[in-house]
Amino acid sequence: MSNYIERFSTSERVLHWIVTASFFTLLLTGLGLYSTLFNGYFSLFGGGRNAILIHKISGVLFFLSSLYMFFNHQKDVTGFDQDDKKWVTERGGYLSRNASHFNIGKYNPGQKLFAIFIAAATLVLGVTGLFIWAPTMFPRWIVQLSLMAHGLMFVCSIMFVVVHVYLATIGNPGTIEAMLYGNVRSLWARKHHPKWYREVTGEKP
Amino acid sequence: MADTINQTTRKGFLVDTSRCIGCRSCQVACKQWNKLDADKTANKGTFENPRDLTPALYNRIRFIEKETSGEMTWQFFNERCMHCGDAGCMKVCPSPGALYRTKDGIVAFNKDKCISCKYCVSACPFNIPRYGTDDKVSKCHLCTDRISGGMTPACAKACPTETLKYGKRSDLIAKATAAKKTLYGVDDLLGLGVVYALEGPPEQYGLPAKPGIPMSIFLWKDVIKPLGILGFWGSIGAMLLHYVTIGPKKVDDDLNVKEDGHE
Amino acid sequence: MTNHWIDFKNSDVILIMGANPAENHPVSFRWIMKAKDAGAKVICVDPRFTRSAAKSNLYAPLRSGTDIAFLGGLINYILQNKLYFEQYVRDYTNSAYLVSGDFKLPGELAGLFSGYDPKKRSYDTKSWSFQKNADESIKKDPTMQDPNCVFQLLKKHYGRYTPELVSKTTGTPKEKLLEVYKLYASTGKPDKAGTSLYAMGWTQHTVGTQNIRAMSIIQLLLGNMGVAGGGINALRGESNVQGSTDHGLLFHILPGYMPVPLADLKDTAAYIEKHTPKSKDPQSANWWGNRNKYLVSYMKAIYGAKATKENDFGYAWLPKLDPGMNASWLMIFDNMIKGKFKGFFAWGQNPACSGSNSTKVRNALTKLDWMVTTNLFDNETASFWKGPGMDPASVKTEVFFLPAAASFEKEGSISNSGRWAQWRTAAVKPLGQSKPDAEIIHELFQKLKALYAKEGGALPEQLTNLTWNYGFKRADGTIKSIDIHAVAKEINGYFLEDVEDRPKPLKPGEKAPPPPPPGTPKKMLGKKGELVGGFAQLQADGSTSCGSWIYCQSYNEKGNMMARRGKKDPTGLGMFPEWAWCWPVNRRIIYNRASCDPAGKPYNLKKSVVYWNPAAVQPTGALGAWVGDVPDGPWPPMADEKEGKKPFIMRADGVAAIFGPGLKDGPFPEHYEPVECPVPENFFSKQMSNPASKIFKDANIKEDVLSTCDVRFPLVATTYRVTEHWQTGVMTRNTPWLLELQPRQFCEISVELAKEKNIGNGDLVEVSSARGKIEAVAMVTPRMKPFKIGDMTVHEVGLPWCFGWHTPGVGDAANLLTPTAGDANTMIPETKAFMVGIARKG
Ligand code: HEM
Ligand code: SF4
Ligand code: SF4
Ligand code: SF4
Ligand code: SF4
Repeated sequence: MSNYIERFSTSERVLHWIVTASFFTLLLTGLGLYSTLFNGYFSLFGGGRNAILIHKISGVLFFLSSLYMFFNHQKDVTGFDQDDKKWVTERGGYLSRNASHFNIGKYNPGQKLFAIFIAAATLVLGVTGLFIWAPTMFPRWIVQLSLMAHGLMFVCSIMFVVVHVYLATIGNPGTIEAMLYGNVRSLWARKHHPKWYREVTGEKP
Repeated sequence: MADTINQTTRKGFLVDTSRCIGCRSCQVACKQWNKLDADKTANKGTFENPRDLTPALYNRIRFIEKETSGEMTWQFFNERCMHCGDAGCMKVCPSPGALYRTKDGIVAFNKDKCISCKYCVSACPFNIPRYGTDDKVSKCHLCTDRISGGMTPACAKACPTETLKYGKRSDLIAKATAAKKTLYGVDDLLGLGVVYALEGPPEQYGLPAKPGIPMSIFLWKDVIKPLGILGFWGSIGAMLLHYVTIGPKKVDDDLNVKEDGHE
Repeated sequence: MTNHWIDFKNSDVILIMGANPAENHPVSFRWIMKAKDAGAKVICVDPRFTRSAAKSNLYAPLRSGTDIAFLGGLINYILQNKLYFEQYVRDYTNSAYLVSGDFKLPGELAGLFSGYDPKKRSYDTKSWSFQKNADESIKKDPTMQDPNCVFQLLKKHYGRYTPELVSKTTGTPKEKLLEVYKLYASTGKPDKAGTSLYAMGWTQHTVGTQNIRAMSIIQLLLGNMGVAGGGINALRGESNVQGSTDHGLLFHILPGYMPVPLADLKDTAAYIEKHTPKSKDPQSANWWGNRNKYLVSYMKAIYGAKATKENDFGYAWLPKLDPGMNASWLMIFDNMIKGKFKGFFAWGQNPACSGSNSTKVRNALTKLDWMVTTNLFDNETASFWKGPGMDPASVKTEVFFLPAAASFEKEGSISNSGRWAQWRTAAVKPLGQSKPDAEIIHELFQKLKALYAKEGGALPEQLTNLTWNYGFKRADGTIKSIDIHAVAKEINGYFLEDVEDRPKPLKPGEKAPPPPPPGTPKKMLGKKGELVGGFAQLQADGSTSCGSWIYCQSYNEKGNMMARRGKKDPTGLGMFPEWAWCWPVNRRIIYNRASCDPAGKPYNLKKSVVYWNPAAVQPTGALGAWVGDVPDGPWPPMADEKEGKKPFIMRADGVAAIFGPGLKDGPFPEHYEPVECPVPENFFSKQMSNPASKIFKDANIKEDVLSTCDVRFPLVATTYRVTEHWQTGVMTRNTPWLLELQPRQFCEISVELAKEKNIGNGDLVEVSSARGKIEAVAMVTPRMKPFKIGDMTVHEVGLPWCFGWHTPGVGDAANLLTPTAGDANTMIPETKAFMVGIARKG
């Protein structure tokens, strides 16, 4: 048995990092628009007008790449089974110092929910973004609602991403390697995603 | 919260619609003072032209023609920025100084600071700001460049009938109240800088009966914004807390798996 | 105007009829609103519900061209209900005068007054005269009961104007009619004032002059003349049109409203004899008795030293009209199309658009050898040769264009409707090669003078003898540029010699004052070279000059009175006596002595224009003086039997004319239909249209067509101006900001007519008359309403006349539709009521 198994292909990883890069570009360019408190962030891009331009470009990039990513692993993230249920009821063991064991596939339900949320947020942010882009072409109430929804989704996605980043890095040591190198240690895989581990390796439970 | 406004020294307009003769000197005077281009228009069967405010039209007259049981009325209504005490446009503007409150309480704008986000377009309760080919906001600035020099705003100066009266807002209101006029905009939105004396219900003039910043804009700026900031730091804090209290999943957990792997 | 713009605020009832001040005189509405603030009521009578109507308390529609019926009904209402101001009518009008027993009213003669000659289409006015006593004074009946007295004739004449008949003719619902009558007649109370604001809606009819006469009668009956907030007020359509008529722009008057001499008046004496009214009434000031002073001073102004006693002050050089000749606008183009002119100056005008029956005007221009147009912008007239329907190759007229400066590019005076001459300085320099008119005229004069010197010609003196001291001179004496102040001073007039202040001739029985002790210096009126102080100082012996007597005082030794900007308003009535200057002699309200009773006490103490203070001491030492506005002469009020004078000093007999025998079409206004009308009969008489107006019917002129009761043209049409454009729009169509507001020719039609013709709001329609057709956007509006005329439903449509083909996309001139027909007295074209048809395009 090899010490490492492949979790993400190169293209999957590149895609993820495109999504990530565009998200953070959106975040940084969006902050100034979100509140005058963050007005200083505009200077990163040479002023608000540039920030808006970059926000629009990265918005399109994010929208396309993020949705593509979702459809790419749609079957891995949208199905929930009994084991997942257990994970959910026990909050994935994150609320306890004790070790916990779940029979989890490629993704745990938290990851699945995150993926679904991000897809939905992408959709909402993208569509409302379009209305905000050209407010004079749409009824005022649509644009007004869009502004609200965009802001709401923006806030939620940040919060989700914060959690996601934490869990993918220091919260779950070893996880980041999957996205960096494509491979994870077998031990890690057996612990976090036993069902998936057995699937890939053909090992019997 | 609105930006600070001094209600006692505040300047503004009183627009007495009963005096307006629809001559539109106000429209032209504004264009002349502000050096705005003519808009291309077509006659579509009404005197009213242009049919809406444009980037080059900061105020205009609506011609409201009505016949009720044989009696004709033809009302003329001056549409313009209200210089709201609680200004939706300023609330949403992300670029400090693009829309700003002068010491006279006027909502003025500075095109150099405008970053063309167009948020103000959606946030204005009266649908006033417009965008030009320069992709910058424009609207009535109450002739800040004139009044700062002690002059009357161009439109008011040109108005032959004193429909448009400029002055200290509290004085204008006091006079109009004494004359038993039905006023609009005295208290709404912390008081409109442009108060109207109307001859009928506001809706007749295309004005909202109870003007307010759109609900969704309010939620966005006054609820989601502060909560969002809270949520952002909150989630970071929560993660930190998790890290130091419960801590990450240990790598040696993996060994445990191995040990009691056969269940 | 007898009154002035600001004076509107003093009114109790304002009647807007034949005018649309909210749209065409927006600034006047400032004062109308002030009147409303003070509780005044505003009435608007108009075929269309206009912006003025929108601001009035009472609106009544009437069919275009029926104003006399409407006003005649008001006269009848006032008389029937005894709402007139009796003392005023008796003392200050000719109501008590007895008219010749031969005089007959239209009610008796099928619509004609006595003396009509159908062949000449004119009246012999002998029977319209007053009965005279043996001493040539007029017979009167102070009780106003004599059936031949003016008052009884008036009653009889307008007795026919019942509300029913008026309503049937005008289309005004009877209730509205009576509402208007009641409200306006309420100003007959001594302390109430009603004012009448009119403009082209009254004048541009074949009965135009009589429309205004009708209102004058009403104002006299109600005692509204001479009072604050009253009067007959013509709202002039151009900022300086008052000035241009004051200064003799029209063909039949010299500056100061003196008649142009007819060729059969051989010398000054004959002219003075003909044009100086005489009065036997010792209480009549008969101001026109001074005519000789004004004429001689005028000739001294224009011919200077060349005008001598020996050559009759150059009277022979004055341009003259042949007896019976009419040189009005319509006649100019009528003669032009007949090929009678070689050349034409279209100066500051655009007849190809503004001229009624513009096709006739445009075709007339093709008959010229040359035309000079002076204007700010190229226009339909200057470019007529490439206009619609023209074949440039076959037009032989050579056209010259002289670019002129706009009013704000030059200095000078502008006289507003209230007779205020206000001096303005140039705001900016003229653009490019454009020049002020005075400079253009100056150059023209120099060139013509040189040509006469070189080539001679018929009667060159007329031109070569003109004084021309108007400018800053070069070393060689030629004028470098025009000094407009020099022109203004010449208009005011100079003392050409030292003029002594001679005592007035003694009245019979009066004792001569003791001769002054020897050695007392002579009292002087003025020294040679000084500016004349006022027209009372003008002389008939050639010792004074004056370009226009009514402007004498405007620029005197005290300075340029027109440039004054004093803001004092001692009476509180808005007369501002130190703001600019107003003719005559800064009198802000004409006939102001009629605002007081015969003892000089104001009828309305709250709005006293003038009053007689018997205790005041005059500079001469005499007791008693008028206080307030400049009075119509210094004499005491008429209760003073020795010295007193009647208030209407410009009338020979000192009273106002309710019976006015001076007009061509009758001493009382009578309703006639417009030459083109929708009804087959005149409900008032058998006489359809004004019997004394000229009919243009020349078989060779195809443009002269009329169509009454023609099924193709069943709609009454009227033309008007809009706020957004000025006159034919040459200036405003070239101002994109204004074109933005009112971008093209439209036609206002009622919802009912639109339904009938299947026309939608904003549809393109073709409006046609017997003379032409234009394209317009239909403005379907409830502001236009069909009229019920007799048993017929008559539709009226409205067309602005400010557009023309020269501006792309705006449509051609409304005047292509209007007829060649003019008022019997003034020949002003009838453009306010004519017949058209309408159809949707495409
Ligand atoms: C510094 C920032 C980020 C890091 C370090 C990071 C890291 C990772 C890692 C390690 C995984 C794989 C997890 C696994 O193997 O189970 C992953 C998956 C994923 N990431 Fe990120 N990521 C970042 C930002 C983002 C952002 C901004 C988004 C989207 C807006 C995003 C969306 C996703 C999605 C949809 C997946 C698929 C699985 C899942 O739902 O967890 N990531 N990321
Ligand atoms: S009317 Fe609109 S644009 Fe004007 S101050 Fe109020 S919110 Fe701003
Ligand atoms: S468009 Fe300009 S003025 Fe309007 S909200 Fe954005 S930055 Fe402010
Ligand atoms: S106040 Fe000034 S900017 Fe505003 S509408 Fe009037 S003229 Fe235009
Ligand atoms: S200038 Fe005054 S009267 Fe004229 S349209 Fe404007 S507000 Fe009305």
